[in-house]
Amino acid sequence: MIAGNTSKDSAEADNSPVKKKNPLYEASTQYRNWRYSPERLEAVRTQLNAAAVAKIRNTFEADEPGSSANVAFLSASEEHLLVKLYVSKIPQLCGHFHFPEEVEATAITYLKRFYLKNTVMDWHPKNVMLTTLFLATKTTNNPISLEAYTSNIPKTSASDVLDLEFLVAQSLGFEFAVWHAHRALWGIWLDLQSLTDLPEDLRPQDIYEIALKHVRASRFTDAELIYTPSQIALTCLSIASPLLSQRWAASKTASSSISEPLSELLKDTLGAINAMVTQNGHPPDIESVREVDRRLKLCKNPEKVVGSKAYLARIAEEERLSERKRNKKAEDVRRALGEGADPFGSDLSDKEQAKRLAELDDDD
Amino acid sequence: MSNRANVGGWLQGKTIRKGGVVSTNTHSGRSSTPQVQSTSTTVFGGGVKDVSGRTSEYFSMDDQCPVCKSDRYLNPKLRLLVSSCYHKMCESCIDRLFTLGPAPCPICQKVLRKLAFTPQTFEDLTVEKEVAVRRRIAKEFNKRREDFLDLRGYNDYLEEVEDITFNLINDIDVAQTEERIQAHKKENASLIEKNIQRDEQYAQALREQEEADRQEREQRALEARREEELQREEREKDRREIIDRLETSNTDAAKVIAKSRAEANKRSSARTTVDSVLKSNAQLLRSRAARSTTIPDVPHIPLQDDWYAYEDAYVLMNSYEDPYSEAVRKDRDGIMRAGGYRVDQAWERAVRSAVMGLDLLPLTEQGSFSNSCPADIVMAPV
Amino acid sequence: MDAVEKANAERQKRWAKDQKVGEGTYAVVYRGREAVNQRKVAIKKIKVGQFKDGLDMSAIREVKYLRELHHQNIIELLDVFSSKTNLNLVLEFLDSDLEMIIKDRTLVFLPADIKSWMAMTFRGLEFCHRNFVLHRDLKPNNLLIASDGQLKIADFGLARDFADPGYKMTCQVITRWYRPPELLYGSRYYSTAVDVWSVGCIFAELMLRTPYLPGETDMDQLKTIFRALGTPTEEDWPGHTKLPDYVPVGQFPRTPLRDLFTAATADALNLLGKCLIYEPRKRISARDALHHPYFFALPYPSHPSKLPKVSTQTPSRPLEEVDGNVDMNASGPGVKAAAPNRLKRKLTSPGDELSGRPLARRLDFTQKRV
Repeated sequence: MIAGNTSKDSAEADNSPVKKKNPLYEASTQYRNWRYSPERLEAVRTQLNAAAVAKIRNTFEADEPGSSANVAFLSASEEHLLVKLYVSKIPQLCGHFHFPEEVEATAITYLKRFYLKNTVMDWHPKNVMLTTLFLATKTTNNPISLEAYTSNIPKTSASDVLDLEFLVAQSLGFEFAVWHAHRALWGIWLDLQSLTDLPEDLRPQDIYEIALKHVRASRFTDAELIYTPSQIALTCLSIASPLLSQRWAASKTASSSISEPLSELLKDTLGAINAMVTQNGHPPDIESVREVDRRLKLCKNPEKVVGSKAYLARIAEEERLSERKRNKKAEDVRRALGEGADPFGSDLSDKEQAKRLAELDDDD
Repeated sequence: MSNRANVGGWLQGKTIRKGGVVSTNTHSGRSSTPQVQSTSTTVFGGGVKDVSGRTSEYFSMDDQCPVCKSDRYLNPKLRLLVSSCYHKMCESCIDRLFTLGPAPCPICQKVLRKLAFTPQTFEDLTVEKEVAVRRRIAKEFNKRREDFLDLRGYNDYLEEVEDITFNLINDIDVAQTEERIQAHKKENASLIEKNIQRDEQYAQALREQEEADRQEREQRALEARREEELQREEREKDRREIIDRLETSNTDAAKVIAKSRAEANKRSSARTTVDSVLKSNAQLLRSRAARSTTIPDVPHIPLQDDWYAYEDAYVLMNSYEDPYSEAVRKDRDGIMRAGGYRVDQAWERAVRSAVMGLDLLPLTEQGSFSNSCPADIVMAPV
Repeated sequence: MDAVEKANAERQKRWAKDQKVGEGTYAVVYRGREAVNQRKVAIKKIKVGQFKDGLDMSAIREVKYLRELHHQNIIELLDVFSSKTNLNLVLEFLDSDLEMIIKDRTLVFLPADIKSWMAMTFRGLEFCHRNFVLHRDLKPNNLLIASDGQLKIADFGLARDFADPGYKMTCQVITRWYRPPELLYGSRYYSTAVDVWSVGCIFAELMLRTPYLPGETDMDQLKTIFRALGTPTEEDWPGHTKLPDYVPVGQFPRTPLRDLFTAATADALNLLGKCLIYEPRKRISARDALHHPYFFALPYPSHPSKLPKVSTQTPSRPLEEVDGNVDMNASGPGVKAAAPNRLKRKLTSPGDELSGRPLARRLDFTQKRV
């Protein structure tokens, strides 16, 4: 190599011209695709519910005219109630398996996200919950075998978990990475130690434990779909110890260049999260959910109920379509092979043929 | 300049090709067998350099110093250098005559300095002179075809250059010719400078190329050495294995040996790597040189992305009280330490999580944020 | 049609699949185009539903990280869609990789070229680490080269987040020749330093034009490392004898890097030495490496557009030929659109391939990772 002993000091050109850099959180799919305003969240659920009701009503009518008249379909909030019940099952299962906090939090996030794209009248949350938990063990790098998983859950077969796995992954947009509030809380707790005027006796360990309980409670709410993990963590700390959260927040400044202190900027946000966590941060009342579940049996989409008439009809239709597609491809290939004999058309048809073969190989 | 042909003999029977810029610096047609030495270890600069900056020096068994008459037969180390008036003399004469300062040339009496002597590249000093003149002229008249509007303009220019060159070589109207050169220089200063730079970049690329070639040769030699060593090791291993097998098995000794041989052969044939295709690099070289003149390399900038990682929002401590990582930090068996696990990386991740998105206000329905999350709109059910 | 299916169908329509260009155990790679502008892409179809534990871990990892990481030196995942039960990753089209370039004997590397590739590799890696992601499979054929010369880290099938304190990781990662000694000794607690070791090996390979530490087995790998860099002492690497799979493999003296890398500058060797420090905590970080004097010294790193490229562009070839030369040695779903080129080299230089690296390619994916 050509000797070079010059310009060792010319380093640190790093922070090149004053180019505005984007905060890393804004690169995450969580920020880009799973962040809602409260109103939008409400609207998504309402629209989803309305569309599902309309569709299932049609299916009922097609099967037997007039049969949908007396069906009491679920409302959006009733659907949500049911999902919430199954959110509460995840920590129980995780405790049983000794899964890390990360798995638990991720599975819950997946379950909530799934029902922003699907309705419980199509997919019952019991199975979806089992699937999101299994998927979360894999996406967080804590995989266990399917066999070990199902054999530890009563009345659960491998297909209960796997049948929906692809649908769940697809509904999540294959966006598996999630940032969680419990890690942010750990970070705040560590960072509190940088505050020199805050000796150890002012931040007893049990405050952290209490705050963590509130973080876990926040998982029953929509907080993570509206606010950032750090905001949720800070709120949970403030519930446990307003003093600590104020002191910590005072040590930070808002990077968005506003002269306003961070605590002022976040006042409404923290207040809103606080209300959410303290009012809704618990499993739903079992009795009311039982009532919803009972009605769900009557109004769920028959096309998705394995073995029902509508289900069989849908499967048959799908089979017919794909059979036709396969036949058409095979026919195309035969024709291409035939054309291949043409001495003048060989060049083109070779390419065409390769393409068609490729398509044929494609089993979708 | 119609009488040019009559000046015959000034170029040993070679003729000027009109329109060609440099028609001569070949060695062809020499009677004796000259040798060309490569040298760069002399105080005497100049001489004729090739494109990559090396000097070739002419050297013959018939060399004799016109001043002191010593020759190569008597003094094998004899080295003749050429003065600016194109007279040869040996290094010891130069030392003797010019060490004390400028002195007249013993042949033509022109005042010379020691440093004005250069190595000789060509046997014939008129060629030497012509090459030097042409080299000088080429530097100052370095316009290219693309600098002219049409071919005619370019041809006229070449004609003029040839004219000037001819005058200088043959000492015709020297003063007036120099004036013409100065005038041209003044007129075209910026263009000349630009063309010099272009040429330099090309030369630089050539030098880099040579350096790379040298390295590749070295590496190939290294590979060969490694290969050899590997083979030696394998042979040794085979030999040992045969002995082992002979000791431990009942199979016929000849069979064991034959089997090992076969294995060894298989290995060595697998290893016969298709040797590096030493294709002529000329084409590659030209294309790279051409590119190096268009896109300049720039100094290294360590990080070039636009992502801000909240580095200014926290200061990591060397250690924290942290029940989560206590076992790891104590690490009584030392297994986490030697493996390189770093608690501080996990801490940094946590502390970054604590400040990440802290000041990000929630979305509001008033559409102002809707542009920031187009994917959401795509994903949302309709 | 469900909302999810509808959204998926719309995504699917954006991309046109062309011919198949390669196949591995886990995936088939097609060349493709974006429907609206004919931009070239690679579509990696991962077969789902054939594994008893559902979605395969390497597919999950690859999607999870590529969805999040957006950087000039990391391959871009343009889209994901499903077709029946197949997962399709739409990736930017990259036609060669660093391994092909290293092996192409018609190419000459300038010191500035090597510097440029190293800088781009470290930039990509620094970004992974800044995002708390370990790559765990860096090697020349996972460093893809775009047509503008930019180098992109690919194949995140073995990547994972940094582990939380006390959680074990698997040591069965990183292709053997690029695997650091702490993993060979079975460490289950490691860090970003593992990736830096791999980059060190790649750096050496760029200078030598041949793999630097080509061990034949895991045991031989340690021997190969020690033969090159000397057997570590307790002082060099405190505690290494306590690692789970520690075995003494003989005493080798430390020979100066200079003996092998005769043409390298002192700066280059200094950086190389820092990437190959035994004690993982002392090994240089990707970020510090980018601030190393080597990168600031002359010559400047080559502009990416001027870097040597694999010259022969193989046009699309009939399918049968590709089928007959399925690259079963690629690790995981790491088959890339480059398969036809690799195929070509196989045909022209069989010896090269045999003495080359496939031995080290295979990683056991059936193992349970924790």
